[in-house]
Amino acid sequence: MKNFSHLLVKEIKELVNKQLIISLAMMLLIFGFIGNVTKKEMKKAIAKQKIAVLDLDRSELSRNLIGTLNMASFIIEEQSGEKEEVIQKLRQSDLGLLVVIPPGFSQEVSDFKPVEVETYSYLRSISISGTRTSEVVKALLDTTNDFLSNQYLKKRLPDINPAEIKSPIKNREFIIVKDRMAEGSSAAVIGTLYLQSYLLPIILMMIIMYSSQMVITAIAMEKQNKTLETLLTVPISRQAIALAKMLAAGLVGLLSAAIYLYGFQMAFSFPTDELSSASGGLAPILKQLGLTIDTQGYVLFGLSLFLAILCALSIATVLGVLAEDYRTAQSLNIPLVFLILVPYFISLFADINTMSLPAKILVLAIPFSHPFFAMQNMMFGHMGMFWLGLAYNLVFVTVMLIWTTRIFATDRVLTMKLKWGKKKVVL
Amino acid sequence: MAVLEVEGLKKSYGQLEALKGVNFKVDQGEIFGLIGPNGAGKTTTLRVVATLLTPSAGRVTFMGFDLKKNPEKFREKISYLPEEAGAYRNMRGQDYLEFMARFYARNQEEVKEYVSRGQQISDLGVRLKDKVGTYSKGMTRKLLLARALMTKPALAILDEPTSGLDVINSLEVRETIKNFVKQGISVLLSSHNMLEVEFLSDRVALIDQGQILDSGTPQQLKDKYQALNLEIVFKNAVRSSL
Repeated sequence: MKNFSHLLVKEIKELVNKQLIISLAMMLLIFGFIGNVTKKEMKKAIAKQKIAVLDLDRSELSRNLIGTLNMASFIIEEQSGEKEEVIQKLRQSDLGLLVVIPPGFSQEVSDFKPVEVETYSYLRSISISGTRTSEVVKALLDTTNDFLSNQYLKKRLPDINPAEIKSPIKNREFIIVKDRMAEGSSAAVIGTLYLQSYLLPIILMMIIMYSSQMVITAIAMEKQNKTLETLLTVPISRQAIALAKMLAAGLVGLLSAAIYLYGFQMAFSFPTDELSSASGGLAPILKQLGLTIDTQGYVLFGLSLFLAILCALSIATVLGVLAEDYRTAQSLNIPLVFLILVPYFISLFADINTMSLPAKILVLAIPFSHPFFAMQNMMFGHMGMFWLGLAYNLVFVTVMLIWTTRIFATDRVLTMKLKWGKKKVVL
Repeated sequence: MAVLEVEGLKKSYGQLEALKGVNFKVDQGEIFGLIGPNGAGKTTTLRVVATLLTPSAGRVTFMGFDLKKNPEKFREKISYLPEEAGAYRNMRGQDYLEFMARFYARNQEEVKEYVSRGQQISDLGVRLKDKVGTYSKGMTRKLLLARALMTKPALAILDEPTSGLDVINSLEVRETIKNFVKQGISVLLSSHNMLEVEFLSDRVALIDQGQILDSGTPQQLKDKYQALNLEIVFKNAVRSSL
């Protein structure tokens, strides 16, 4: 045990080297910078939009329309003069949109004739705030149409609320999950669940990828630097050597993933005020539907994740033994990364339960797949699937660990290598 | 008294028979040299004795321990210097010695004792405070030799101990090995430099194509084969074995 902890400390020190610290620090700096810029752009995009309005009608109705726009989410900067002159003048300003209310606007509306309100969008960049222009135009037209139709209806049917005429059907939405039911918006519930869980696959992918890469590299570097033979002759069991490498890689992988995730959140997190209030409102519905995870659920998820990491580490250890140097190790890591990416993308963009049976079997044969679907399986009561995944990973890990420690206990740790030319593994 | 006994040692890699029944004994406090050309089976023999490779057949015992049955116990008593060994490049020389010492030491005092001996053997002085990655090949080899000898193993297994070293460094390494044996440890070494083995070894074994051709003290062999040095001895021994 003394020698194991001694070796573990050495393995961790070898992995946490200057290059890793610098790359993580650089990543944090870059993500921090991206986050700062993105948030500023998003704030600009979310803020009230400044638009220019040229009122060529100058009627009571057009004044009311401008007043309505002002009360909606627009800051109005009124223009005067000829249309062409104003269009030309605004080229030099920072305003992104010009609305032209044509002459005779009020008259046309009074005659129930369609009116053309011209909008001019000034494209100056493809930033987030720049791309908001089309949304602004749409919002502007919606507000205008709403205002005008309300005017018509009030005139013709003064005793009836225009909103009741425009939306005569009211909808009460219910959501059913297994044997539970709750009243609420299914879109909002799905949206909230998605937002709450969008980080989970990224964390999983990073932890598994980092850990496996670390252990492959650690073994390959021992071979490249010719230190493995010496290490194998010191008084410590071969199993302990293999386990120390795996454990160190797992711990450093976990730490790197956590730092990466922190950086990722700094760069790409949304302004969460509105989101959190929305999800806070949905919390009782989620609870009622059983779509929340309790402590026991988190423990089970942790177990699933732990087994998947062990699977990755044991595969990576064997691949590390096959590698002759750092370069080969990097090449050998590529297929493993692809295997990790498959469940990652499927968990983001597809539903495993609706896939065809062969495709489902193929995906679930990848041992890293199971934690990606564990949360969903627990939430939606597919516990059979969850336990099956856990049992599969347990068997997989046991077989792989036995195989890995056997490789380390025999000559194969030195003689096993991948022959690229003949494309076969020599065991 | 023999501390290491190798009997009928065979090692095969698939169809290739690297060792075809090797026999020799190493006595306490002696330097036993294996000499032979490249591919003769020297390194394979040393790797088996160092517990890196498992024998296909035969028996290796060291101070009563059977290598096959108890390799971990075996490793406590030996130290192995591979031909193409390296040290951890990000560690300082001093830290490397301490890291290796901790595997063998029973307490902190022993760690200090081993490290202090390692510093002395390596003769690297203040350079021990530098990272191994900055060392020359000669310095690294000295550090590795110090690592192999500092724990005073009952048996030091040295594969081509002066491999890749210049004349001055080779002389220093040979001198260190010679002096260290005076403290009672046994050494099993291999080299294709037969003059080096003649200088260092109390007894030598001539190995070729996985078999021991002959063994004895350098003088006995020179007399037997009527040769001036071990190179001629080896040539004559190969000729008479055909």
